[in-house]
Amino acid sequence: MKMFRILAICCFMLGVLFAFEPTVAMAQDQMVEFSSAPQQNIEMADALRQDGKIYVVVAVLLTVLAGVLFYLIALDRKVGRLEKQLKDEYVNR
Amino acid sequence: MKKNWWKILTVLLLVFTVAVGMLSEVPRLAILNETIRNLYFHVPMWFGMILILLVSVVYSIKYLRKPSIKNDVIAHEAAKVGILFGVLGIVTGMEWAKFTWGEYWSNDPKQNGAAIGLLIYFAYLVLRSSFAEQQQRARISAVYNIFAFAALIPLLFILPRLTDSLHPGNGGNPGFNAYDLDSSLRMVFYPAVLGWTLLGVWIINVKSRLELLRQRIYENV
Repeated sequence: MKMFRILAICCFMLGVLFAFEPTVAMAQDQMVEFSSAPQQNIEMADALRQDGKIYVVVAVLLTVLAGVLFYLIALDRKVGRLEKQLKDEYVNR
Repeated sequence: MKKNWWKILTVLLLVFTVAVGMLSEVPRLAILNETIRNLYFHVPMWFGMILILLVSVVYSIKYLRKPSIKNDVIAHEAAKVGILFGVLGIVTGMEWAKFTWGEYWSNDPKQNGAAIGLLIYFAYLVLRSSFAEQQQRARISAVYNIFAFAALIPLLFILPRLTDSLHPGNGGNPGFNAYDLDSSLRMVFYPAVLGWTLLGVWIINVKSRLELLRQRIYENV
């Protein structure tokens, strides 16, 4: 089972690597067709990325996500402890 | 910790979704602009809802074949989490629609179908709470749950396709189809769907265990 954990983490690392890899290779040999053609003069949050402020948003989102997940993990462990306690009482009765 | 590797996978997938989903390159399309990133957060709510409600139906069928409190509890908790995902999906959809379609609610067939589908599931909760006797409640709500899922599929996936719709993938509106969903979107979209669905399964897991504990305590008292 420890193998699974290591495997999962490896998959995650690989995924991150692939995603950050510039999509140059893909763009060269396969052009994706869009139903409405992509244009260069479309407004995107480029300025936001250039001066780095998008990372603030990512940090905030990750903080919220971390908070919610920690809450869920805490809840999970509390239920686990209760399960154990109840089983003990049941066995020792 | 041994059986919980999938919970770690959930955390990793969600962190990946938020971080890479915000930072990666996305197609430049008119009207959508950066809101195309909602694909990683709005759409997985619906994918997650369908998968989680499918879990609920499976446990309802299991209950009818072999009545046990565990099957009933899991079916109920899964339905509740599925409804939560559906409500989040419809609210995020309205927010997105306001800035791309111009209105929060434009009576689009997809929106109406989703709303009716959710109402059918709200009725499931009402039905459940109207029985005092446990076995009766479990059996009748299991039957209703199967009906509700069977009604939800045409409402979400068939009826909107038969008429004009603003929503991508419906009524001759191509949207994020095979051509549009390019590999840079897919790279985050599939992990996002898996991550959000697993989060729902995790919540079902914790809530069902808590409910089963509660029932065991009542038995012992």
